[in-house]
Amino acid sequence: MPLTKKLICAAGLLALSAGIQAQNKELVVGSSATYRPFAYETPTKEIVGYDIDIIRAVAQKAGLQIKIVNTPWTGIFAALNNGDVDLVISGVTINDKRKQSYDFTAPYFEARQLIAVNKDSAVKNLKDLSGKKVAVVTGSTADDIASREFGKTNPDIRRFESTPVIISELANGGVDAAIGDNGVIAFRTQEHKQLKTVSDASFPKEYFGIVVKQGNKALLDKLNKGLATAKTDGTYAQIYKKWFQTEAPALPAQ
Amino acid sequence: MDQVLWFGWFRVDIIDEYAQLFWSGLGMTILVTVICIVQGTGLGLLLGMARLADARHAPARQLCKYLLRWPATLYVSFFRGTPLFVQLLLMHFAVMPLFVNPADGLLISGDAARHIKQNYGAFLSGVAALTLNAGAYISEVFRAGIQSIDRGQFEAARSLGLSFARTMYHVVLPQAFRRMLPPLGNNAIALLKDSSLISAIGLAELAYAARTVAGAYSRYWEPYLTISVVYWMLTLGLAYVIRRLEARYGRGDSR
Repeated sequence: MPLTKKLICAAGLLALSAGIQAQNKELVVGSSATYRPFAYETPTKEIVGYDIDIIRAVAQKAGLQIKIVNTPWTGIFAALNNGDVDLVISGVTINDKRKQSYDFTAPYFEARQLIAVNKDSAVKNLKDLSGKKVAVVTGSTADDIASREFGKTNPDIRRFESTPVIISELANGGVDAAIGDNGVIAFRTQEHKQLKTVSDASFPKEYFGIVVKQGNKALLDKLNKGLATAKTDGTYAQIYKKWFQTEAPALPAQ
Repeated sequence: MDQVLWFGWFRVDIIDEYAQLFWSGLGMTILVTVICIVQGTGLGLLLGMARLADARHAPARQLCKYLLRWPATLYVSFFRGTPLFVQLLLMHFAVMPLFVNPADGLLISGDAARHIKQNYGAFLSGVAALTLNAGAYISEVFRAGIQSIDRGQFEAARSLGLSFARTMYHVVLPQAFRRMLPPLGNNAIALLKDSSLISAIGLAELAYAARTVAGAYSRYWEPYLTISVVYWMLTLGLAYVIRRLEARYGRGDSR
């Protein structure tokens, strides 16, 4: 066989195999499973939670094959960048800074920041935390808020890897307050009877979205379509009620 | 702040923005390392001696075995046999709250406990875990160093009428120390690098600064490359100090 023919043949095979892969490719979903009730591991190593139910429903509606991989929060965007995961659903707040680097689907959860403090604390809002030690999760929305309010290199801001850890640190008396996403903070706080939550009305409403690599429009469209279907056919409301025991709030379309 | 690029891809402005965190982090890393080297060496010496303790007659013989050798062996086995990272989490989230706790600390409680935990909590837990861990490794260096000195030296000194302590101090340890310096240096370098693990419990050292920047910008090259270079400089400096010490104390041999 002449060389050119060989090459064409090889290229054809390659294209064919790539085509097959694209058809049946299992999408890898990254989620940090230390974020109960959004995503956490059961004793049998199964990853479950609100986020997981949502992405399964979305994938089903959109006809996508998915595999969920527990990815530590600190490295989750790096994993998306270098292709280890195809999409991320991990309680990721949609914000402008992140939008510069990633693409988000429509919201699937309304989030607010919530402050956890000791029951005897007089803290009413974020401003009251000035001069106090505050625990946040590194790189989270709370980190962003605290950094803006108290200065990003302020030693009173204590950064940790996960929400359970900041609540433990608070319960052990290592900090005066912990700030985090409402779903998780509320859930964790009820585990410690000496703690309470404080809601600062000035915290803006925020939304969680599913994240894909910037420019991956094909996948983004499929996910949005799946999510829209889940919202209209009642699957979404069902999942919301299962995890938060209340009716799902109306979410903006974008 | 405007983006400032080095070599077209290294965003130095985000490092600059958090410069204060990196500088104070550098200070903290050095402080923790120095404290842990000193304490770990002291602990290691005591443990090493305990592991070699022996006596000829009962009951001292049994006492040495059950009260010194066995506990020391168990200690070394535990701290070498479990990951430092796990020890660190155990210390900070389990052991420390048991002893120092505003609600019901066994050692310190109330406002004093709150004050200590809030201002020095991660530092104390980190230094304690790192010291205990280093002590285990260093005790092996001391034990091996002392055992490597020919038994004849010890016997000769004793038969000349020197007491055990004087034999150790004047004859065995000076020779053993020379042999222990290279492995001690290795331990010091390992300790410097291991101090980065303390960032997991929120101590603002070098790795913490890098993690903060990585978290804020979702950029990983700049912060981690920066602290890699800093750690490298620090270990080079430490290696230089150790080389000087070896040259200084090795002189006796190469006369």
